[in-house]
Amino acid sequence: MAKNYELLEHTADTGIRVKASDPEGIFRNAALAVFDIIAEALPGQKATKPQKFHIKLKSENLEELFVNWLNELISLSAAKGLIFSGFKKIKLDGSGLEADITGNNVSGYKVNAEIKAATYHELKLEKSDSGWIAEVIFDV
Amino acid sequence: MSELWEGPLEKIDDFRWRISKTYKPGMRVPGIIYADEKLLKDIRHDKAPEQVANVAFLPGIVNASLAMPDIHWGYGFAIGGVAATDIEEGGVVSPGGVGFDINCGVRLLRTGFRYEEIKDRIEDLVYALFNMVPAGVGSKGEIRVSSKEERQILTKGSKWCVENGYGIQDDLECTEENGAIAGADPDAVSERAYERGKAQSGTLGSGNHFLEVQVIDQLYDRDLCDTFGLDQGQVMVMIHSGSRGLGYQICDDYVRGMIHCLQKYNINVPDRQLACAPVKSQEAQAYLAAMRCAANYAWANRQCLMHLTRKAFEKVFGTSWEKMGMYLIYDVAHNIAKIEKYAVDGKEKNLCIHRKGATRAFGPGHPALPERYKKTGQPVIIPGDMGRNSYLLVGTKKAEEETFGSTCHGAGRVKSRAASTRSTNLGALLKELQSKGIFVKASGRGTIVEEAPDAYKDVNDVVNVVHNAGISKRVCRMRPLGVIKG
Repeated sequence: MAKNYELLEHTADTGIRVKASDPEGIFRNAALAVFDIIAEALPGQKATKPQKFHIKLKSENLEELFVNWLNELISLSAAKGLIFSGFKKIKLDGSGLEADITGNNVSGYKVNAEIKAATYHELKLEKSDSGWIAEVIFDV
Repeated sequence: MSELWEGPLEKIDDFRWRISKTYKPGMRVPGIIYADEKLLKDIRHDKAPEQVANVAFLPGIVNASLAMPDIHWGYGFAIGGVAATDIEEGGVVSPGGVGFDINCGVRLLRTGFRYEEIKDRIEDLVYALFNMVPAGVGSKGEIRVSSKEERQILTKGSKWCVENGYGIQDDLECTEENGAIAGADPDAVSERAYERGKAQSGTLGSGNHFLEVQVIDQLYDRDLCDTFGLDQGQVMVMIHSGSRGLGYQICDDYVRGMIHCLQKYNINVPDRQLACAPVKSQEAQAYLAAMRCAANYAWANRQCLMHLTRKAFEKVFGTSWEKMGMYLIYDVAHNIAKIEKYAVDGKEKNLCIHRKGATRAFGPGHPALPERYKKTGQPVIIPGDMGRNSYLLVGTKKAEEETFGSTCHGAGRVKSRAASTRSTNLGALLKELQSKGIFVKASGRGTIVEEAPDAYKDVNDVVNVVHNAGISKRVCRMRPLGVIKG
């Protein structure tokens, strides 16, 4: 499957650039990128029963919401031992977010990297002529 | 995103370079970078100098925004940055000035073995260590603790380990802050942080964390080596790890809150990752109380890792660790904020010292040092990359005068992980390391190529600068024999 993000060079850490036609798409693509960096599904593994979570966040603005969204996913994934792959209902309302996400036990994956957190350093989330674009650097 | 930094650097002397306070409106003090001409080329290669200038915006910052020769581009602070803020003058604490891996640090222990005695057992030893010391992303430890015990660890640090049979009293004396910094409040730690840190005590982690069996290949100061009980050809063990998921979550929790402090306290910084609050504020006090919990967790973690290391040696050599002389030289934090006293313009002041990828380096006679190191100065442990060297240094009075008792923390990355992966052939690298007598075992192949020696500056160049600048002093150098990576 073609990657829906580009990796950005950073001396100590890792960054991504994602594009989408709307902010919801940016939030979804960035979430997919995070878990693509963290892990890959092991071939031939029987999928475990997916676990569902409802995420509700409120922030001061869209950029802050974006960082908090990614950090909530990273944190929840580490705390519960899950790799998230389903981000089907992402609803943005001003600076609030609600989303239903699903994840599977990490045992069905080969873990390639640890992302400690998303940072505000050189954070970008903006509308351009061709759609929306976001850049974010992770501490890895 | 990486590009050449072309800002003005004024030469102070052969090892110090100044970024003028006039470089950017809003800088309260100049930036000072410790480097020689050779390292400066690497330093200009990314945005680290810009970050040194950004840190100079912090309210209450004293003297200068400092950078050590291993400086490289981080997020918010450069990695290798030191900043002191004056608490009485509205000085701030910034969680970004500590980082997500709170109290990432290093410990060094000696053994009674000489290289010739164990050179044919290195592979056995590496396999035993790899099997007994949990490593890798999200690794869980054999040392399981209950929720109640986890809270105890946050206040007691390494002392909890010693009370539970994972070490001896002597280990505490040889650990910065005796392995437990005062002022930790477990109630300042979120449930998510507890959950994220659960079952990770006694785990190495991943990325640049490692456990190495090393041999001393160069002595620089015979008297100091004698005092530390060290000699050429002696086998050593170095452990590099931090506060794992608990620390990451604490940083995340408090950065979220401190973003709003920028407006609340009318603070102007050019990068939101430098979010901060006055040390005296409720927000800062809560962060410091939680950060200290993570720091104590990290000291306990490295203490557990040392215990497992001693057990692995016992398994391989069939004798007790005491008989193998496996005593701790010292343990240092290199991502931390501490309240320390310094003379500023002739007045003693309480300063909040941020060390983000920098090591405390107190000189001889400092009251924080244990009796055994009062004459030598504080041991400073500098890990290099897996193919070259690591160092034992001591702190100096000059460091206390110039750098708020701080020095470098390692070699410093020069290549991104992606670039290192692209340019490194795993097979060729392992063969090259093997030809140097270095045996590597890692949980993932990716980590080895990301952490290839070429991804780092030469630690010998970095240590030359801090030694020649007088902010620490070389004692001896080690080279790796066996490497365990996450």
